[in-house]
This record gives sequence, structure tokens and C-alpha cells, in this order.
Amino acid sequence: MPSLSVLLDSFFYRPDEDVGLLQELVAGTDETVEPIAEEPPEEYLAFRLEEEHYAVPIRAVREIVKVPPLTEVPRAAANLLGVMYLRGEVLPVYDVKVKLRLTDKAPLVAGPDAPEPPRRARIIVVQAEDGLAGIWVDSVSEVVRLRPSMLEVAPPGVGGGERDCVVGLGRRNQQLFILLDIWQALA
Amino acid sequence: MNQAGKALSEFVAEGTEILEALGRDLLVLDQQRGQEPDPDLINGIFRAAHSLKGLSALFGQERIAKLGHQAEDLLDRLRLGKLSLDDRVLDTLIESLDVLQGLLAEASREESTPVMSQRAVELGSRLANMGAASAAVDEDPLDRLELDPQVRAVFTEYEEHRLRENVRRGVSLWRVRAAFDLSDFDTGLGELNSRLKPLGEVVSTLPSSEPGGATGIAFDLIFGAKVSADELAAKLQGTPAQLFELKVRPAAGSEAQSAPAPVAQVVRRSGAEAPEEAPAAPAAPKKSARKKARSSKAGATSETPAPQAPALHVVEPVSPKPHRQEPLFHDESDAPTHLRSETSAPPVRTLMEDSGSRGTRSESESLRSLTQTVRVDIGRLDALMNTVGELLLIKANLQRMAEAARQDGPVTVSKMWGQELSRETRQLERKLDALQQGLLEARMVPVGQVFDKLARLVRRIAKDAGKEIDFVISGGEVELDKLIVEELSDPLMHIIRNAIDHGAESPEAREAAGKPRRARVSLRAEQKGNHVVIEVSDDGSGIDEQGVREMALRKGLITEAQAREMSRREMLNLIFLPGFSTARSVSELSGRGVGLDVVKNNIGNLSGIIDVWSERGQGTAFHLTLPVTLAIIRALVVGVSGRTYAVPLNSVLEILSVKPSEIRTVERREVLDTRGTTLPLMRLARLFGHPERTNDRHFVVVAGLAQERLGIAVDELQGQQDIVVKSLGGRLQGVRGISGAADLANRRTVLVLDVGALLEEGMSLERRRA
Repeated sequence: MPSLSVLLDSFFYRPDEDVGLLQELVAGTDETVEPIAEEPPEEYLAFRLEEEHYAVPIRAVREIVKVPPLTEVPRAAANLLGVMYLRGEVLPVYDVKVKLRLTDKAPLVAGPDAPEPPRRARIIVVQAEDGLAGIWVDSVSEVVRLRPSMLEVAPPGVGGGERDCVVGLGRRNQQLFILLDIWQALA
Repeated sequence: MNQAGKALSEFVAEGTEILEALGRDLLVLDQQRGQEPDPDLINGIFRAAHSLKGLSALFGQERIAKLGHQAEDLLDRLRLGKLSLDDRVLDTLIESLDVLQGLLAEASREESTPVMSQRAVELGSRLANMGAASAAVDEDPLDRLELDPQVRAVFTEYEEHRLRENVRRGVSLWRVRAAFDLSDFDTGLGELNSRLKPLGEVVSTLPSSEPGGATGIAFDLIFGAKVSADELAAKLQGTPAQLFELKVRPAAGSEAQSAPAPVAQVVRRSGAEAPEEAPAAPAAPKKSARKKARSSKAGATSETPAPQAPALHVVEPVSPKPHRQEPLFHDESDAPTHLRSETSAPPVRTLMEDSGSRGTRSESESLRSLTQTVRVDIGRLDALMNTVGELLLIKANLQRMAEAARQDGPVTVSKMWGQELSRETRQLERKLDALQQGLLEARMVPVGQVFDKLARLVRRIAKDAGKEIDFVISGGEVELDKLIVEELSDPLMHIIRNAIDHGAESPEAREAAGKPRRARVSLRAEQKGNHVVIEVSDDGSGIDEQGVREMALRKGLITEAQAREMSRREMLNLIFLPGFSTARSVSELSGRGVGLDVVKNNIGNLSGIIDVWSERGQGTAFHLTLPVTLAIIRALVVGVSGRTYAVPLNSVLEILSVKPSEIRTVERREVLDTRGTTLPLMRLARLFGHPERTNDRHFVVVAGLAQERLGIAVDELQGQQDIVVKSLGGRLQGVRGISGAADLANRRTVLVLDVGALLEEGMSLERRRA
């Protein structure tokens, strides 16, 4: 019999209390670029993967959650880190680092031998055409507004080959964001 | 959902419901082909077409409204007897149902293809021009009925037609006089009607010309009886009804129709002494006898049948025939269907073996329903509501306790408090169980929903294939989760297509083989514990297992070595391999590019398995074993190498504790010897690539579905739990051996093993090794 506090905890637990980070992020953005009427900026969610800055259009992102315990799926594709429960739905969580050649091997994050997830790690939940999917990121940094003039196509050698999920670069002042095609990255 | 979308989905749901009723009635008509159609049935169909017309006009669905109107017109002519229901009319009506369903399906997708519109217009004009009139009547049989012209004048066209029909068929007609008190005449009349209904047809209800007393009202019911006078009188015992026979003068040449008079007659007098006390005057039970009876009291007109009229003779034929209780139809059409001659039978008959099927669903390209709606018995919903009410009470109690504990602050929690809490928890558990059970029941629908749709499909397929088929349905009342029933329709359709197309031989070939001309395809459902077994069988030519093996060899699905060692059963099961098809020519019917492997996959997705039996020349049977529900299942939670998995308990047969030394190998494959039989063993850790632990003993979960058995070795057992299985979704469907995931109470997500797939994998491992 588990202790009383555990019972009560699980009884009153509401997973949706864990989220809402997105709103905080949107509210807390100290963006200084003045929007110009004829060139509406688009909002991107910026995050880090192995110290590189990446960004995806924010409308593709449904929510951002802390890393819950992930369950590994045996005999699944190598980029599948595991599955997680999110308010009654089971969704797969993917690694994109291997695809982006940031690491050689997807980190072990699920199963009994996995270490505690880093404190800043998050799962970005996106709506794919066949349901929800999660993407592991090392940390979420901010929401950036990028106008079309701030975007450039990926230089040759970056966009080609295995990295066809990179659609371009976004430059804000001195900072560079690698723009990801999220669905390509999951494929 | 926006307003328009909501209106549309309501329209589709209601339209589907109407078409279901229509389909059900048409199916009955189809089964009774060649017999006199039941006027109530025709009326029901007429009303359904009428409501559909009104409904679709309301929602601006003009194509459906128009076709519905044309069908309604035809049905109106049918019920007024201006048109007789022959095979052509019935076929057209069934076709209208298909087209209406197609139109409704398009409406639900908010599209309108010219092909369908064209079909509707073409069918509509055919409906309009359908057979002008039924055979001209040279004399109106109504003239033969001794009925006051004044009474006759108040009949509606429809009532007149029904009366004429009854006279023509020689049904004995009665005037049932009943007086009721004004205060409750409606209930009295209703009761009388419901008593009369099973005995025949109430043609018309008229206020009686004779007063019903100071505070009463009397009615004359014109009634065509299907039963003998004695029976009628007995059934009306206890009601204020009095019976008077309506006389029919013999038509010219009607002598030929009537049965020869019995050889001997016993004439018994009865009822003369107290006609007032015996409200129902007995009358002659047979037509031939009635004429005789009439002659003895000629002159008594039906509209003034004074109660003191001479008693009718009850004529009982003694021998050679026993007293007849059957309906008095004098044509042979009421003979049981199976007695009818083989040659005149329609190409397809659907026979229900029991009261099975209720409720059809519409048939579109696939047999899936257009709507996701489940109709739920209000009683079930009430029970659920009650349970929720009680849950709220428990929640209030828990809240109160939590509040009390909070205010007491750091004071140690008393023992009483603990007891109270555990009592509430137990209550909570019980109520949650009830809630779960109730919700599961609400999801259950009878498989008959799919069966009825299939029955119509069989008709069409058999016609196209030129086969004569008896389609036998049973077990339609067995209930399955709505989700499963929906998913089941396409695989069943495929198997039945196969049975008709490849299984059943042509009528000539069957006769040559000494079989009955008509092939028999049957569809049965049966509940077996936690599973439902659905069997599709035919008495056709069976599967040529050698041919199957040759084909599999030629297509490179198996190797020579494998082929040599195969058992008959294994050979038969080759038909489920992807890329296999025995059909020499891909026919329009079965060759849709999907094979039995797809069927097997679909069944597998429902955690079910499919098995085939076949005997050359005797037939083929497919057995589908399915769980009753997928929503909430009881599972055994097991641990392997520190991971946790859930095994659906309904496929667990037993659990063994095994020492490593007890595991043997046969051809390098691990097996267990359990009570004299060899059980293949599968180590879950090895299969899933987890680091294996060395144990001094294993737990072996013996899983089984149908006749397959497999031992699954795990490290530990963690107990049983009710779990809600969630599908892994489109992206992960390819993961073999996992059917979904579930959330255990402690926020751990566990994967649920797909026992069917694991069994299969075990078997195919064996095959590959051979």
C-alpha cells in the first residue's frame, strides 16, 4: 500500500497544471524590433540543440511540456526516444539531433537505465498530419519575431544531404537561428 | 463545429436512422418474396420514404428529397394496390435504398458528384414509370361484400383498397362492435386494437351507428381475420367486443378456388341460448363451410346483425384433416418458404435463424457508418447519471476530510480519520467500477448492425456472380464495442465476397457434385467468455491446400524446405500471407487489390485473430476471435529487465513458475513441457532486445488465442489492473508486438503487448526455422 501522500497526490494530480509555459514565454518576450506595416513579422519558437540555436514557426507548436517519464518502445525506429502520456493521449517523442548530425546516437532518455532528464530539457509538442508528436530539445530559449527580410536561404552544404530539414536561416542582430522544417525532421 | 456543420451532421444521423429502418423493412420484404406482402410493412416503408423526403427538403438536400418523393409516390401506388409488388419493383426499391444511401454519404461529405446525380435522376424516372397498374379487375370484389353503401362511402381510398384486398383473398371479414365509456374509450380502443393486430388486419375503425349507452361510445372495427372464428372469439374474451361476420357473395367462378367440402361434417349448435352473454358469436372457421353456414341463415345482413340472430353453425371437419388453426389464405403463398419449389425461388434468400438482427447501418462504398453516433438506451444513461451523482457525494466527503485535515494542522492524523478515508476510498472504487461498467455497456452495439448490411450486399454480389445463395445469419444480438463493430464490417465483407466468389460453385456445378443447387453461406456470432467468435462459412468447393502451397512456392513466399514440412493447417494459413491470392483471374468482386493479409491485419488491429478451416468439396470456414471491448481491459502487469508491460488478461490462460533447468530446446527453439504438451517459449527480454537478467526462476505467462498457445517468459509479476488502452497512433502502428499504451495510476506509461501478433511471431519463427 503506497503512502497516503502518494495516493492523494495522484488523486488530485492534474497534468494540465504542468503546462502553460508557452503563455509565459509569449508574455515575457522583450522584443524590441518595431514591426513595419508592410512586412509583418512572424513568430518563431527558438530552442537549443547541443548549443546550436534552432527555430520553428510558432504556429506549428501546440505546447511545450517538461520532460515526463518516457517509456521506451522496443524494436522501434532509432529516432524514437519513447512514448509519453499527455492528457489521455499517447504521443511519440522523437530525437532530431541524429538527423541533424549533432550527435551520433540518440541519447538514452527512456527506460530504467536512463538518467534524470536535464532540468532545462523540454518536449515541444507539434501537430503532425497523423497525430501529435513530441520533439526533445535541450532548452527552450524565447519567441523571436523574424520579418521576411531577416530570413535567408541556407548556404550550400547546410541545406543539402541529410540536413534537408533545414529550410533557412534567420538573423536577428548578431544572433543566428537555424529554421527547421519540423515535419521533415520527424520523417 | 459551426452551426451549418452541426445541422448537417444531425441531418446525416437522422437520415441514416430512417434509411436503416427502410433497409430493415425492405430486407423483410425481400425474404418474403413471392408472398403476399404485409400491408403494415408497405405502410412502414411508405412512411419512411415520406419522412426522408420531408427531412431532406428541410435541410435543402434536393436530390434526396426528389428521389424520396418519387419513391414515396411508387410506394403510395403500391399500398393502394394500383401496383403490385413484383420482383422488378422490389429490386428497384432496393436500388433506391442504395442510391439514397450514396446520396446521403455524399451529403455528409458536402459534395455532389454528377455521377450520383445522374443515377438519382435516372432511377427517379424509372420509379415514376414503373408498371402502370396491377392486373385489371373485371369486377370489384367490394360489390360482393354485403356492406351498407353508407358505410362504404366513408372509407378512405386506402381502407377501401385493403378491404377489397381482403375480400379478394377470401379472408373472413368481421365487424367488431365495441362500446366503451366516454371517459376512457381511447385506452379501451387501443387495447382492443393491440389484441386484434396479431390476429389479422384492422381495416377501418368507424363510429358505430348504434349508440353505446348514455355515457358511452361504440365503434365498428372492420377486421380481416387470419385465424378461425373460435380462436378470434377466444382471444377477444374479456373485452366488450362483439363479433359479426361480414358476408361475401361468391364471385363468379370462385367455386373452383374453394376447397372441396369435407367428407363428413359434425354440426354442432352453440351460442344460440345466450348471444348477449357470449359477446363473440362463433362463426364458421373455413371458407367452404362458411358458404354452407350462410345458406342456413340467408337474409341476415351484416349491417344489422341483431344480437338475437340465429346462431351460426360451427362446422368441424372431422377427418381426414385435423382442425385447422392456420390462417385462411387459400392460395399456397403462405406456405413456409422452404417448401416452395427450388426453381421459383429468388436468387438469394436471407434466412434469420433467430430474432438476431436489430438495427442496420447504412451502406456506402465501405460498410462503415456515416455517423459516429451510438444510440443508447435511456435506462443505461440514467444508471450512469446515478453513478455520477454518487461519485459527487463521495467527492464531497473526501473534500470535507481534506479540509478537516488541513485545519487540524500538524496534529497527528487519527486512526478514525484513516478508517474513514479508507471507507470512502472503497466506495469510490465501487462507484468507479459501476461507472466503467456502465460506459462499457453504452458502447456496446449488436453485431446485427453489420450483419444486416452484409445481407443486402450478399444479394448484390450473388446476383452479379450468377450464384444462388442462401445467406444464413445468426447471433446478431451478440454485443460488441461499437468501435469493433465498425472496424469489422470491411473484413467481413471481404471474407463473404470470397465465399461467394470463390467458395460457392455455380448452381450447375453443385448439382453435378450432388449438392443442393443453392449454396449456403452462413454468418454466425457467438459469445465465448471474454471473446466473441464470428464464423463465416460456406458449403462450397473448399480451399485446395496443395494449390495454395504451389502458389506460395511459385511466388517465393516460402522455400521448398518449408513447403515439405508443412502441416495441412499451415498450408491453409498461407492464404493470409501478403501477396497471395488464389483467384486465377482477378474478378471484379474479390480482386480489389487487397487480400486476406489486409483482413488479417485489420483483425489484428482489433486484438483479434483469424483462423481458417477448409475441407475439399465440403466448404470453408473462417473464424474471427475478437475481444468484446477495447476500451477498458483488465491486464496483467509484468516486469522484464526493469521495464513494465501489460498483458491483456483475456488472453492469459495461466502463469507458470519455471526453473531455467526446465526449459528444453527442440531444434534450437526453447520449449516447455507442460502436463505432457510442448509449449513454445518466448523470452520477452530477448525478443525486445532488452538486457537479459539471469534469474533463478522465470515466470511464464501462457497466452492463447483460439488454439494457438505461447509461453512468454518475464522476470516478475506486478499484479492486475484495469487499464485504458490508447492506440499508439498512426506513426507507431508499425511496431510489432505492441498494441497500445496505457497509463498506470502512478503516472507511468506502460506498453500493452499485442498477444495475437506475438503468437504469430512465435509461429512464424517456428516456420522459418523449419
